[in-house]
Amino acid sequence: MSNKLLKKENLGKLIDALTSEGSIFVAPKMDAQQVVYAPVINAEEIVFDYIVPVNSFKKFLFPQTEPIAEFNINKEGVVLKGIEIEPKEIIIFGSRPCDAICCSSLRSVFNWDFKDEFYNRREDKAIVITVACTKADDSCFCTTVNLTPDSPNGSDILLRETTDGDYAVETITDKGKKFVERFANIFSLNSQVPSHKPIADVKPIAGIDVKKVKEYLKDTQHYENPLWAELARKCIGCGACTFACPTCHCFDIVDEGSAYQGKRIKNWDACQFEFFTLHTSGHNPRDTQYKRWRNRFMCKFNFYPNKFSSRGCVGCGRCIRVCPVRLDITEVMEKVSNQP
Amino acid sequence: MNNIYLPYLATIEDICEEAPDVKTFRLVFKDPKVRDTFDFKAGQFGLYSAFGAGESTFCIASSPTQKGYIQCTFRKGGRVTGALSDLGIGDTMGFRGPYGNWFPIDEWKGKNIVLIAGGIGLPPVRSVIWNCIDRRKDFGDITIVYGAKTVADLVYKNELAEWSKMSDIKLVQAVDPGGETPEWKGKVGFVPTVLEQAAPSPNNSVAVTCGPPIMIKFVLQALNKLGFSDEQVYTTLENKMKCGVGKCGRCNVGDIYICKEGPVYTAAEVKRMYNDF
Repeated sequence: MSNKLLKKENLGKLIDALTSEGSIFVAPKMDAQQVVYAPVINAEEIVFDYIVPVNSFKKFLFPQTEPIAEFNINKEGVVLKGIEIEPKEIIIFGSRPCDAICCSSLRSVFNWDFKDEFYNRREDKAIVITVACTKADDSCFCTTVNLTPDSPNGSDILLRETTDGDYAVETITDKGKKFVERFANIFSLNSQVPSHKPIADVKPIAGIDVKKVKEYLKDTQHYENPLWAELARKCIGCGACTFACPTCHCFDIVDEGSAYQGKRIKNWDACQFEFFTLHTSGHNPRDTQYKRWRNRFMCKFNFYPNKFSSRGCVGCGRCIRVCPVRLDITEVMEKVSNQP
Repeated sequence: MNNIYLPYLATIEDICEEAPDVKTFRLVFKDPKVRDTFDFKAGQFGLYSAFGAGESTFCIASSPTQKGYIQCTFRKGGRVTGALSDLGIGDTMGFRGPYGNWFPIDEWKGKNIVLIAGGIGLPPVRSVIWNCIDRRKDFGDITIVYGAKTVADLVYKNELAEWSKMSDIKLVQAVDPGGETPEWKGKVGFVPTVLEQAAPSPNNSVAVTCGPPIMIKFVLQALNKLGFSDEQVYTTLENKMKCGVGKCGRCNVGDIYICKEGPVYTAAEVKRMYNDF
């Protein structure tokens, strides 16, 4: 534990110092009566009383839409230019532990063989400053997936709120350490051990055993269980869960522009959409909604942990909060845990 | 910055109209360095761009032994294949690849090869066929069983004629009942039935098959009947792809990413997969 303190009153100074250097400072702020991660330019914009922002911060590392090439078509042929990115430093302030860990998940997908520099360059320039949770709601289930409201994994700096309303600073990575050293005038020395606000008490959901869920999914026979159609029956395929999820990484590549010039663009996509896997021939391997829902569940508890050795589900609860039909992933986890 | 999504540019040097809506392009890379160093193995695929429309995935239909160019064969169906189909000789398109695994042809030295294809499933098999012909003495008997719906739907008609004249290749051509013309000299029947009649021996053999899913299903049954084990049979799985490099998340069959671990599998491997086809 470091003996550094970040006083709330100094946040403005930190934002000024960073934005004057051209860095982007992202923090929870109000937008359309919801708390979202968004760039701020002064401390007054920051919301301190929140559970988790409605969006995850993945869009700052993996933008919802991103050009990857530009082309011009002329008489001589095609002039093609790859897009070069030089991202600015970006500080994600007020991340939650469940969100912070998404960086390692996304990094694993974007680097398991071919390396996606669009993601890597952005993540290299990101500094994740997490604030441990002192509150949770009914949808939070981090402890069920073996995380805690104050897990350090994925954060560069972990802050704990003190009873005085300031933050006790713990540096987790070298990046975090260098950041604190760089702003030594802002991160003050603390002479006495501060008293922390109690960390949120998130109880693991009884009846869910993530290990059992993973084991169950490994058996290809279980893929045929009529259970899937039953559990996912109410899913309407809107894809909101995938857009809100910090680890969902699927994307589409499309060309946009005129007949003579345009851009090739990477856009977020969702495995919940019917056209996602539709072949030109008309054949669709996932032709009904439950198959698409089953794929997402498999991705979280089988592909991510087994294939990419990282975390698919972080227990942030966003997919539960945004679902228009209240399809609760934890209910499915529970049903699957209790399969013979 | 290394951009894994950036295609090579290629010029369309030749176009062959194979069948209604089916064309073969011969592509030559614009960059001489790429042209000289580009290499691939039979069974690998690529993403082909029509700039302004997007990218589409097909196998490389030529053989790696044919240097200086690659070929692709596709049927006009959607937005991208429609735009590709509108391109002419001399036009520029994009290519990313080669991606994926390949048919382990080097492991097949000394074996008899049975190649079974239906309709537009011939292009990936054609890469293997020419690869085997160009290294003819490495292999035992070569049997090709190819069928399409109608005589018009047969692709690579010139090459079929060429293969039928080769004394060291057994070619069986077929069209579905009703698809024959008065001049048709080949078989009339579905590929699995024609295959059973041709009855290639499973001894010291491997079989490669590609075609519509329903054909593959019955070809596998026919091969089993003839005594082929699932380990002796290879096929190539196609799925919708966008990135081709294991990131966009749509070609997976259960936990298997076709673009990275495929597209070539033995029938035994296919049977072990999640039922996600």
